[in-house]
Amino acid sequence: MLTEPLGMSNNFSVSVKTTDNRGFTPEETAKRCVDKLIGISNNAHPAIRDQAHAYRNEMEKIIELYMKQAIKSDRTTVYNAIKDSGNPKLAEYIRRM
Amino acid sequence: MAFSGNFLCTSFKKELMTGTHNFTSSGGNTFNIALYTNSASFNAATTAYTSSNEISGTNYSAKGAALNPVTPTTSGTTAFADFADEVFSNVTISSVRGGLIFNDSASGDPAVAVLDFGADKAASSGDFTIVFPTADASNAIIRIA
Repeated sequence: MLTEPLGMSNNFSVSVKTTDNRGFTPEETAKRCVDKLIGISNNAHPAIRDQAHAYRNEMEKIIELYMKQAIKSDRTTVYNAIKDSGNPKLAEYIRRM
Repeated sequence: MAFSGNFLCTSFKKELMTGTHNFTSSGGNTFNIALYTNSASFNAATTAYTSSNEISGTNYSAKGAALNPVTPTTSGTTAFADFADEVFSNVTISSVRGGLIFNDSASGDPAVAVLDFGADKAASSGDFTIVFPTADASNAIIRIA
């Protein structure tokens, strides 16, 4: 009889990404997001692999676009919150960013 | 006195069998990641969070930050749990060599895993992001096969 023991592995990989004097751009974040959503095996059939890469690239662009829209929308919220708190100049500065 | 690789802590494996940890994303325990310099000496024998050799810096607090767990699931015969990427926002921190994941809900802050970043990392008035592996049967940080 063949039996397989239960096992837990230390073979996992964690990485670190950092920025200086800024946050992550939508492009950088979209790439990280699509890496989580779509994994493509190097052993996949070339035709399927190419199609998967094309799909992944499209997804990255779409995620990037919606992230930029979310940032713009959030900036509108921040603009109004700062303006309502009596700091119109600062609000305008943020709106123009 | 240095990081020497990634480890799932041995005490954690035992505690899985005694029901100490609940990785369910909603209603489960709170798991934190704390960051350390390379003076920390963590390995599989690490049992709990310690403030010794924990980094300090702008917008970083002791015990680090709470992680967002991916609710445990299965694929084939493998069960796995993972975490979403963690961003320490607008921090100025340096000499960050690794991290310790621990259960902040459980008594004594028991350790889960030791993460070795491979080199000292830093961020200056920026974001420091820990990128966790894909949550699947081949890559997730906690897998029982």
